[in-house]
Amino acid sequence: MTTSIYSVIGVFIATIFGAIGALFLKLGADRLKFNFWKIIKNKYLVTGIISYILSTLIFVPSLKYGDLSILYPLVSTSYIWVILLSVHFLKEKMNKYKLIGICLIIIGVIFMGLGN
Amino acid sequence: MKKTKSWAIGLIIFSTLLNTFAQTMYKFGANQLSFNLNSIITNLPLILGFITYGISAILMIAAFRGGELSVLYPIFATAYIWVTIVSNIFFNETVNIYKWLAIISIVLGVTLIGIGSNGAMKYKEAI
Repeated sequence: MTTSIYSVIGVFIATIFGAIGALFLKLGADRLKFNFWKIIKNKYLVTGIISYILSTLIFVPSLKYGDLSILYPLVSTSYIWVILLSVHFLKEKMNKYKLIGICLIIIGVIFMGLGN
Repeated sequence: MKKTKSWAIGLIIFSTLLNTFAQTMYKFGANQLSFNLNSIITNLPLILGFITYGISAILMIAAFRGGELSVLYPIFATAYIWVTIVSNIFFNETVNIYKWLAIISIVLGVTLIGIGSNGAMKYKEAI
């Protein structure tokens, strides 16, 4: 199957929204209070959920119209975005184990794409 | 004090499993899908998938409280492993060499990240 450019763009955008969504969900989760109204007013959580849903809505149709051997590697970039966002915004530390681990996961996802 | 707690890692893995289950339900449900409201509401696999997806998202948010995003998020990659297994059992999709390599690579990657989530600190300080 040929991969439509719209699929590529779609997956790329969905991946970024997915990573941003994860960041906001983490921020929201850290500030979570177990009170219905506080949960609804948790701006980070709400933003994260919206971002995540948006990402899925764009993601699913995009995957249908493209070769997974091309699209999965794009999807794997989400792990890179999340690392960058975590280090910058959440002040999380990087070390060689995490770095090599992420590389292995990216390679794994690329292989998964080739295998499909 | 461990930065990323074991319960959080376990919960993410479970959430990923539920996610895979939800995706499988969607796939089953897609076979019986037609675009009218009645058919959607009575589409049991689809409804089940939707509910499971919601539960997995709630568990994920809960898990995020227990650790670092850079450690917990990559664990979602294990979904590819579960999906491969499910596709093989339920949809008769073959597991080729690439998928095997992918599984091995992802397992190694997640393990290393787990080590790097706190263990590495101790080794570095020891040196």
